[in-house]
Amino acid sequence: MVGLSLGEQHFIQGGIAQDLRCDGRKRLTYRPINVETGVIPQANGSARVRIGATEVIASVKAELGKPGMGQPDKGKVFIYIDCSSTAEPAFEGRGGEELSAELSTALHRCLLGAKSGAGAGIDRTSLVVVEGKICWDLYIDGLVVSSDGNLLDALGAAIKAALSNTGIPSVKVTPGASNDEQPEVDVSDEEFLQFDTSGVPAIVTLTKVGRHYIVDATPEEESQMSSAVSISINRKGHVCGITKRGGAGLDPSVVLDMVSVAKHVSEQLMNKLDSEIASAEAEDES
Amino acid sequence: MAGKSATPATYSPSPTTGKTKSTLLKENWIRPDARGFHQCRPAFFRTGAVNAASGSAYAEFGNTKVIVSVFGPRESKKAMLYSDSGRLNCNVSYTTFSTPVRGQGSDHKEYSSMLHKALEGAIILESFPKTTVDVFALVLESSGSDLPVVISVASLALADAGILMYDLVAAVSVSCIGKSLVIDPISEEENCQDGSLMITCMPSRYEITQLTVTGEWSTPKINEGMQLCLDACAKLAKIMRSCLKESASDAQDESS
Repeated sequence: MVGLSLGEQHFIQGGIAQDLRCDGRKRLTYRPINVETGVIPQANGSARVRIGATEVIASVKAELGKPGMGQPDKGKVFIYIDCSSTAEPAFEGRGGEELSAELSTALHRCLLGAKSGAGAGIDRTSLVVVEGKICWDLYIDGLVVSSDGNLLDALGAAIKAALSNTGIPSVKVTPGASNDEQPEVDVSDEEFLQFDTSGVPAIVTLTKVGRHYIVDATPEEESQMSSAVSISINRKGHVCGITKRGGAGLDPSVVLDMVSVAKHVSEQLMNKLDSEIASAEAEDES
Repeated sequence: MAGKSATPATYSPSPTTGKTKSTLLKENWIRPDARGFHQCRPAFFRTGAVNAASGSAYAEFGNTKVIVSVFGPRESKKAMLYSDSGRLNCNVSYTTFSTPVRGQGSDHKEYSSMLHKALEGAIILESFPKTTVDVFALVLESSGSDLPVVISVASLALADAGILMYDLVAAVSVSCIGKSLVIDPISEEENCQDGSLMITCMPSRYEITQLTVTGEWSTPKINEGMQLCLDACAKLAKIMRSCLKESASDAQDESS
């Protein structure tokens, strides 16, 4: 928790009301975003994202597995977030567990869509190798290295970058003798298929302080919030998931207003991220 | 609904109807329980289900049966630091026999924190400093829309316990299946939904305390879904209020 004096609290609230925040930003401006890809050689894809002093790493590992009973035509995706105690002493031991669980659920909601898989950022049907028998299991792990506010947006961006960096090995399948037998697979270690990330949404968290809302809040600003709404929006401008934090109630019209603001902001964020990812990929290859 | 036992208080796992996705994706499909798309299941509420608790409530929405007890305000655990405002502790658990496949209820670990988030905005925590209120919810039978039911019942149990609140919290969810929005979905519908939207709100104050959306939604659709939920919440809160009034007048009759 951030301990702020009454004066500091008023200063932050007043600044936000006048559209001039403590670090000189406007209400809807992000801090500089920095993306690096391919930071973890052992993973199939990885990325490090820095937004201000917030730093997160996301890694994607693909393993061959069996599709779930109810959904033979879909691969499985697991998202785990770890809040390291190196980021903040409060995360030590079980302290980070609650936040980790909250972030994982929010990301799950934003990226994987509903049960039928419609509207999901990650197309799980593309992960199937042999229907009902073999599929890829994607393990997406996020690590919070340094926490300076706006973790969810940073993690969302890092996962997006890590996925676009992900290469899934191409697989040769030798069908088994009978239908019930598990087919044999030959995993190539040279050929990789690029993962399609065009549908992966960007997450925009709008933090409500007083009567206004801001993006990319710092911990000081977060401590003054009444509530925060995280909205994930894809390229088509469709909402892919909404999560609300903070206790205070919101008027329904405010929520709808937030959605339209988020739509506007996400477009800029998405463009910024895409260009950052492209330049990071280019740097990675050279 | 078919398979409804004669005495609703008996716990019996809901019969698993073999509804598959294909039946729900036809052009002119009807809902498995023959409800209209914008029609909620009949709700049944009763307060005072548990004697040992400060307040409790039981509810049935079709085959979804939930019991919630509220304990406290009582002294916070010793390890907790001093706090000016009260604390709220929520836990949602499933009986092992609540789901068609035994023990599947443990898939819903996030429900406890969601219940907490939905309720904290409605409770006047300053009214019981240094102490904790425990809200324990048990899903006896799970048959769709579990979380909204749990949240509504929990707010009723809190009211029954005499915890100060700004307003009752009512929760309703809608599922998007194909092009249609269905309110208060049952398990079969939830299993093949393309998107879901849940709103918990305080109807008298017209404020949303919690909101979750999954799946892909266009703005007009979100608009429509929210309005549907808000209207249903207002109706639900009326039923909850009348249940509270009933139990209060019963108590008065007994004492006189």
